[in-house]
Amino acid sequence: MITAISEWIDRQLGRGSASITVPVFDGALKSNRYIEDARVLATLDAPEDLATDGAAVFVTDGAKVLQILPEGLKEVLQAHGTITALACMPGGGFALAIDGKEVCIEGGTHHGRHWRTVNGHPLCAVNAIALGVNGLLVVTDGSTELEYAQWKRDLMSLGKTGRVFELDPQTGDGKLLAANLHYAFGACSIGDQLWVSESWKHHVVGIGAGTRPVSVTDDLPGYPSRIVPAAGGGAWLTCFILRTQLVEFVLREPTYRKRMIAEIDPAYWIAPALNSGNTFLEPMQGAQLKMMGVVKPWAPPRSYGLVVRLDAQGLVRYSLHSRFDGKNHGISAAAECGGYLYVVSKGSKRLLRIDIAQTEKELTQ
Amino acid sequence: MNSTPILELRKATKRYAGIPAIEDVDFTLLTGEIHSIIGENGAGKSTLTKVMAGVVQLSSGQMLVEGEVVSPQTPNDALKMGVAMVFQESALVPTMTVAQNLFLGQEKFFNRLRGIYISAQQFLQSLQFDVDPTAQVSLLGAAKKQMVEIARAVLHEAKVIIFDEPTASLTPEEKKYFFDLVFKLKARGVSVIFISHALEEALLVSDRITILRDGKQVVTDMASKFDRERIVQAMVGRDLSQTLYGQRKTFVRRQGKRVLSVQNLRMAAMVKNNSLSVFAGQVTGVFGLVGSGRTETFKVVAGIIKRDFMHGGEVLLNGKPVRYFVPASAIRDGIAYVTEDRKIEGFFETKSIADNIYLGLLAKLGGSRFLVSNKEAAAVGEHWIKRLNVRAISKDVKAIELSGGNQQKVVIAKSLVQDPQIIIFDEPTRGVDVGAITEIHDLINRLADEGKAVVVISSYLPEIMALSDRILVQRMGKVVEEYSATEANEEKIMYAAIH
Repeated sequence: MITAISEWIDRQLGRGSASITVPVFDGALKSNRYIEDARVLATLDAPEDLATDGAAVFVTDGAKVLQILPEGLKEVLQAHGTITALACMPGGGFALAIDGKEVCIEGGTHHGRHWRTVNGHPLCAVNAIALGVNGLLVVTDGSTELEYAQWKRDLMSLGKTGRVFELDPQTGDGKLLAANLHYAFGACSIGDQLWVSESWKHHVVGIGAGTRPVSVTDDLPGYPSRIVPAAGGGAWLTCFILRTQLVEFVLREPTYRKRMIAEIDPAYWIAPALNSGNTFLEPMQGAQLKMMGVVKPWAPPRSYGLVVRLDAQGLVRYSLHSRFDGKNHGISAAAECGGYLYVVSKGSKRLLRIDIAQTEKELTQ
Repeated sequence: MNSTPILELRKATKRYAGIPAIEDVDFTLLTGEIHSIIGENGAGKSTLTKVMAGVVQLSSGQMLVEGEVVSPQTPNDALKMGVAMVFQESALVPTMTVAQNLFLGQEKFFNRLRGIYISAQQFLQSLQFDVDPTAQVSLLGAAKKQMVEIARAVLHEAKVIIFDEPTASLTPEEKKYFFDLVFKLKARGVSVIFISHALEEALLVSDRITILRDGKQVVTDMASKFDRERIVQAMVGRDLSQTLYGQRKTFVRRQGKRVLSVQNLRMAAMVKNNSLSVFAGQVTGVFGLVGSGRTETFKVVAGIIKRDFMHGGEVLLNGKPVRYFVPASAIRDGIAYVTEDRKIEGFFETKSIADNIYLGLLAKLGGSRFLVSNKEAAAVGEHWIKRLNVRAISKDVKAIELSGGNQQKVVIAKSLVQDPQIIIFDEPTRGVDVGAITEIHDLINRLADEGKAVVVISSYLPEIMALSDRILVQRMGKVVEEYSATEANEEKIMYAAIH
């Protein structure tokens, strides 16, 4: 009762949980143009995820897996559906998520192994696969109700049905590691912890054996997604969309959201997007998009490009951005290999490459 | 400037409890001259000028005004003789309006308030000072208070005006107006005594410079015969020019955990949707012109003033929302704020050094300490006097009797004794001599190296650039730009602060 009264007062006064604030991009999260200015390796039809075995880098494009070579892209696998997550297996081959509803292994020693359910839980929106300890696979499933492509609906419905599974390619067994997450999207083994992105909560949690999940990095200005290990310790974290005060406000208005979801095309919802600026029908984000014909880089973004370099303790070391006036938005995946960071900009459908040593020198000097 | 002395001191000596603050000082001020007095804190500058202004009386020696031996017993006596002083710390009546302060002591039997306001408005406009004559002084920022003090001295048509650190809280544009005003006074034949720690300013505006050290006159010479190195050498007897602002930062400390996150903060007209973060293990410099909302933002953080009641934004300490209604709550959570106005907000001037520092500890302990221990107070005081190198005869000396630099160290000690996780320094070296500046800067760097989150708010660009790992620039109530120490330069920062 007291909580309800307190929440009602907060709502009236716009404070506490109703203060509708977003953290600022400053310090190591200060904006720059490294993703916008990155080298474009290719423009694809439907890029989604990246994976590396340490020697080569692979990118998914719809149902295909392509290897990135100096001379271009080479198709190495054709799956039977849209690939929503990809990982390289230690003994060769790939672990794939097909349409978010199936995880299968193609090639290598465990070729043919696949999961549609884990301990009776049907998979629904698998969006990332990572290698765990002892050759196990860690899989994040964003939602039990909405498929992967409907992530925006899940956000606007305040979905909290995300799950993390551990799959054993040898035996075919599976285990539920965590449930009821506010959209699980990406996992990575760092030290003795498993880091999992909980997108709608804007944080990364660490799940250790026999311990309660702890926050690794929290109150991010974006919605975190896939995490991959970085050379030298720590990880690369992609944020596929950004937070804005307008969206935070809409997320607190159930009646408005209900009508918006029911009546308006999802492309024009007041919600984050993987790309924006394509049509005048898009909602404003609290400021004018253009001033004297020039897009303002500081305007509240509907879409954005962001990759965050975390150290082994989860502290942000530096970050790479494509600001509101850029194109390389909706960063869905990153992978480090051979001194380069490969990045998928799902918003612009581009595959990008960034020289890590040079960038690190410039950003951390 | 002509060669007729308007004011002279001969063998001037002033002792406090037998200890000389100035000793055998010979000083001559010529008509229409701008004369700078320079020295470390504790060198005797303030005492020397207080003698001239009638605040204190000489123990021995003579003072002459226009050739006549005088001994002003009060500032009013001195004013009648044509000597006015603009004090380093505000001497205005805080509960009165600007206009009332300007005309204080000159009231008629019947006063028409509207008439006073109109006269004050016209006078302030003639000086190009942007101050509302109807505003209550307690609500003004430090710079505007300074402007009122200057205006009051000019209004009294003094023949000698003594400015004690007049530009410390002024913005570059305001400084320009101020110096124009000083030159106008000079042209009218008014003599100006100028005390400043900004050596470049002294070199720029002065006709002659007198340097004091340990209460004694070291040298008096034409300003054109000085350069920065010679002044510093004479002031401190050692070469500090390379250590003080002399070298640019070549490295940036790696940022630690985000300790403080200010999100969309609003406070009346001063802070508008302001957002910033402060990280452990770094010095975060905050620069902005007066009125940019720097101090107000951090006073909200420290619970000294309150943010807007409705839709006031959020302050997160270690990721948890906090809202302080009194500073004691912030202190208990590990937030220390070292004030820019040390005399009003920093210490109890009639209490001893040890008592002042101990009060800082009591603020942290709150109600958990039922009895006050004099023994503990003495021990705490002695420890911090030693640690911060406070130069005083003993821990029992009253704070008011210390020089500006040592008073500042006491204020800092009062905060550090609370073992805070965030320390906010607001104008940490304002009115502090070069020797103490170096010590305070070393201390700030040491705190950051120890992993504390340190915020330095300063109007002095070289200080911001010498100390900060990251520099936030505020304008019109919000942070508009951020630079790392290695990418910042004065032009970039100033451009962001103004445009």
